Amino acid sequence: MGDEQESEPVIGTGNQDELIMQQQRQIEREISESTALVGELEPIVSLNSEYSNDNVYLEKIKDLSSKYKHIRRTRPDGNCFFRAFTYAMIEQMLENSNELEQFIKLIECSKMGLLRLGFPEFTVDDFYETFMDVLKRVRDIKNVNDAKKELHTLFNEQGYSDYMVVYLRLLTSGHLQRDQEFYSCFIEGGRTVVDFCHQEVEPMYKESDHIHIMAACAALETGVRVVYMDRGSSKSNIEHDLPEGTAPSVHLLYRPGHYDILYL
Amino acid sequence: MSTPARRRLMRDFKRLQEDPPTGVSGAPTDNNIMIWNAVIFGPHDTPFEDGTFKLTIEFTEEYPNKPPTVRFVSHMFHPNVYADGGICLDILQNRWSPTYDVSAILTSIQSLLSDPNPNSPANSMAAQLYKENRREYEKRVKACVEQSFID
Repeated sequence: MGDEQESEPVIGTGNQDELIMQQQRQIEREISESTALVGELEPIVSLNSEYSNDNVYLEKIKDLSSKYKHIRRTRPDGNCFFRAFTYAMIEQMLENSNELEQFIKLIECSKMGLLRLGFPEFTVDDFYETFMDVLKRVRDIKNVNDAKKELHTLFNEQGYSDYMVVYLRLLTSGHLQRDQEFYSCFIEGGRTVVDFCHQEVEPMYKESDHIHIMAACAALETGVRVVYMDRGSSKSNIEHDLPEGTAPSVHLLYRPGHYDILYL
Repeated sequence: MSTPARRRLMRDFKRLQEDPPTGVSGAPTDNNIMIWNAVIFGPHDTPFEDGTFKLTIEFTEEYPNKPPTVRFVSHMFHPNVYADGGICLDILQNRWSPTYDVSAILTSIQSLLSDPNPNSPANSMAAQLYKENRREYEKRVKACVEQSFID
C-alpha cells in the first residue's frame, strides 16, 4: 500500500487491497466447488484416503475409529467450527424435544442480551430471525429423520447456513464482551476484547481458536469435546473437553486448521 | 429473484429512507439493486465542508457476509482514498462485520473524511501533506470540493 503514484493514471486496475481480496475469492471458490457446507455421514476410515502413506496419521485414525463411528465433514472456509458446532448441537437436540424447546428459549432471550451490549437491532434482527426460523422449522417436523433431513438441507443452503454462523458469531462476541475481564488474559498482542471481537470473531471466514470455542459454549450453555489429531508423537489422539469438566453434547475432530463433526 | 443479499439490501434501503443519517444518502440504481449510488456531504468544520461527493457501492450475493466494494466517483484528495476512488478503510476490509448496513458504511466513510488515517495511506501525497503541510492539504481538498459541484 501507499506505493501508488499520483501522477500515474490508473486504468482499470484495482488497488492492492482489491487484488488481495480477488485472489482470496478465487481460493474460496475452489474450496466451495469441492466440499459441501456440511457433508453426509461417513465412516471414520474414510479419513484413510487422505493419509495413504502417512503412518502417524493412519495410526491415529485407528485410535479414532475405536471411539467414534462416523465423521461429518464441513467446508474448510474459516467458519467450520461455528457451522459444525451449531449443526451438531441442533441435530442432537432433534432427538430430545425438551432440550430443543429450552434451546429455543435461550435463543429468544439472547437477542436482548446483544442489544443491551449495543449491537445494532436492525441488522441483528435479520440474523436472529433466520436462526429462529430454522429452529422452528425443524422443531415442527414430527418425524426425527425427516427433521434431520430438513436440517441438512437448510445447512447446505448458503443463505440459511451462513446466517446461522453469523448469529453464533455474534453470540460468541457478545459473551466475550460481557465477560471481558476473564477473557482479556487469553488475548495476545495487546488487543482489547472488543478489538479482538471486531477482528477475529464477528467477521465471517475468520478461523476459531480455543477462546472462540470457550465463549461459544458458554453462550449456548453447553460443552464440546474436541479430539485433536495431528502429527504429534503420541499414538492416541488428545481429547479436550470445553469448558473443562462439562459433559460434552457435541464431539468435534480438530486437524490443524479445521473442524469436522464426530459421532459416537 | 429474491436471494438473502437482495432481501437484506431492500431492508437496508428501507431503513436508509425511514431513518436517514445526517449528511449521507444512497439508493439502488434503477435496474439493479446490487449497485447503489450514494452521496456523502463533506462534514462541517473540515476542509471537505460543502462538498457533495458521489460514490458507487457494488454488492455481491455474499453481502452481508462480505463487504461491498465502495468507490468514490467524485475526484478525491484524501490520505485513504486511492487514485481510482477505492477506499482504504478497515471496516470495508478485515474488520467488516455482517452487522454493518449501508447506513453504517456511509457514516463510517463520512467520519473518515473528518479523521484521515495518514499511517495507512492510499494516497501518499495526501498523507504527507496532511502530516507536514496542512495548509497545502486543505488547498488541494478545497479544489476537490469545488470540483464536486461540477461533477
